Amino acid sequence: MTDPADRPDPSTPPDGPKPPSPDQPSSDDPSGRPVSFSPPRPYGPGAPPVSDVHAGQAPEAWGGWVGRVPPSRLSPLVLLIDPVRMLPSLLLPLVGVLFVGGFSPSSFVWAALAIVGSVGYAAVRWATFTYQIAGDRLELTRSLVSRSVRTIPLERIRGVDVTTPPLHRLFGLAVVRIDTGASGGDKQEGELDGVTLPEAGRLREILLRRGQAAAPADAATPAGTSYTAPAVAAEERVYVRVPWQWLLYGPLSGAFLLTPFALVGGAIGLAFQWGGEFGLSERAAFSVGEWLWHRPVLLVLAGLVLVLAMPVAGGVMYAVFNWDFTLRRRDSSLVAERGLVTRRSVSLEHRRIRGYEIAQGILERGAKVVRIWAIVTGLGDSRTRGQLLPVVPRAFAVKVAAEAIGPFEAPLRPHPPVARQRRLFRAVAPGLAVAAVAFLLGWGWIGLLALCAAALGVPLGLDRYRSLGHAYDGARLSVRSGSLPRSQAVVERRAVVGWTVRQTWFQRRSGVLTVIAGVGAGSGGYAAIDTGEAQGVHFAAEVTPEWITPFLDHP
Amino acid sequence: MTAPLRDPAHRVSRRAITLWLLEALIGFALLVGGSVLVASWIDGSGWSWLPSWVSEHIWWLPVALAVVELPFVVIEPLWRYAVHRWELSGDVVYARSGWFSRQWVFVPVSRIQTVDKEQGWFERILRLATVEIRTASYAGSSSIKGLDVGVAARLAEDLAHRAHELRDDAT
Repeated sequence: MTDPADRPDPSTPPDGPKPPSPDQPSSDDPSGRPVSFSPPRPYGPGAPPVSDVHAGQAPEAWGGWVGRVPPSRLSPLVLLIDPVRMLPSLLLPLVGVLFVGGFSPSSFVWAALAIVGSVGYAAVRWATFTYQIAGDRLELTRSLVSRSVRTIPLERIRGVDVTTPPLHRLFGLAVVRIDTGASGGDKQEGELDGVTLPEAGRLREILLRRGQAAAPADAATPAGTSYTAPAVAAEERVYVRVPWQWLLYGPLSGAFLLTPFALVGGAIGLAFQWGGEFGLSERAAFSVGEWLWHRPVLLVLAGLVLVLAMPVAGGVMYAVFNWDFTLRRRDSSLVAERGLVTRRSVSLEHRRIRGYEIAQGILERGAKVVRIWAIVTGLGDSRTRGQLLPVVPRAFAVKVAAEAIGPFEAPLRPHPPVARQRRLFRAVAPGLAVAAVAFLLGWGWIGLLALCAAALGVPLGLDRYRSLGHAYDGARLSVRSGSLPRSQAVVERRAVVGWTVRQTWFQRRSGVLTVIAGVGAGSGGYAAIDTGEAQGVHFAAEVTPEWITPFLDHP
Repeated sequence: MTAPLRDPAHRVSRRAITLWLLEALIGFALLVGGSVLVASWIDGSGWSWLPSWVSEHIWWLPVALAVVELPFVVIEPLWRYAVHRWELSGDVVYARSGWFSRQWVFVPVSRIQTVDKEQGWFERILRLATVEIRTASYAGSSSIKGLDVGVAARLAEDLAHRAHELRDDAT
């Protein structure tokens, strides 16, 4: 972790670029967004450093780069993809035109015109969109109706995402997404939809490498040198290639289990939508439903099939998404690549990674498998994009995380027994309360159900207590909580930007408190819940003694 | 205060009590006013599905709320004044806030991204201000309420100045 870029760099905070200034409170808001000038915004909202500018409002630097490197276009092959992608949305109007025109020659002419028009539109879009790496910036220019330039400073680029959807794959193209970690949340900052694969690789290399090389002094280097590679030789190392057998763990996560229902729902919706077009009335649909209703055996069978299909379909979906999952190190980025149909590759800059989060559902815990994410500064939607591994055995995940990011072996310290009482009370009390009210009102069944829920709360509460823990090993701190989904975060010490200690009235009576380490990455804060009063405060003091010890009661 | 943390050095301004009292009174008025509205609505509706003891005694609702809530209107500002404290020393902002539940925040100046001084309506009348200190994380951010305007301005300026010197961008 001694990248040159790790030194203090006043120009690249994740979302608070300006030095604090009390004089202009409103413009200091880190989530402030620039006013957009282009009415049909092509890229979604941007954050301050990434600006949409029109020709008339060009930045001062405008004259500085024009003409240095010729701007590039997307591959012309996208012209073959775009119309195909538009087909579904065009089909209905086209069919409509043909029907209305009674299949007369003129209606065919209109339909043909519509197709030509859409192809022409795609061509114009292609011709008017250019991109260019100029000095320390990436410029995306769209001059369709009005000219708009999006400028992305390279030093601000956090990750580059290369995806190859099936059609793109057919033509050897890829979609490059550029993540600048702006406070616009998970909005993409820049997208190049349809560059050739080698070009995508080249872009990734340049964008990420330049992002790392971009030091404050770098702004002064002439733009002409922008393609010189840094001294570090390109290094590529595969950490792990997940064996396909482990795809079988997928359904345990539960996330894909609802797939069959979603599919059936989608099919029914489509049938209703298209049925009308083909003369199937709703009445016919209802009579089918009625016919089924009177044959409950069929319904039950259908339900059974769906339930049985759940793990299968879920597993298939999971396998399609996570096929041949590879995690490798390229230069100073971690690259996770996955997918069967759409191949997706996410690059995470190593110097932005602050730790990792390990999560387990209850089923996954039974099978001793885990999911794992990287905690990255300024990465929106980190649960999807920061994914380091699919569901894999725990020991393996820990080993990979230790190798790729950093080891954490310190045993977690348990929290005081009173925390167990609090967990138990919380898990059991709601059920008991509902049961009491239900019995008072004479609703026996609901009361019984609530009692069962309360009984189940006992193991739940005990397990939630067992999950609690925190530790610090001198470089990283770790906190763990939860039960049905249990998650443990491991965060570097230097990522901590502050501490919040909370104590509710009930916690005070029990002599416990919650310590939250503020981290400028991932979910923002990682809490050690219900630690002992001294234990929690001393935990914070152990991690960052210079911040806490001056304020301890007995230093 | 059983957590092994000492009190931060400075109290907030005494006028903050008035501020919290005003805020509590407004909350009280809204709550009781709302319950009066609900009560008159239910009283006039003649709904038969409500148990008769509810619709007959519906006017107890605002009264009960007022009686329960009124002591807190007085207690909360005083209690808050006892808890709310702040301190800037060793380039760390240490602040305590809350009443029923309390919260200690430690923000090292080197990680501060923005410092704002804010004034609401009442604060302006009472010559008070809030200093908002933000870092890259919600859990490392703090807002110190009820400071005297002069104190707040000085604190904000000191922090901004120091943060500029110390800026550390490891996050």
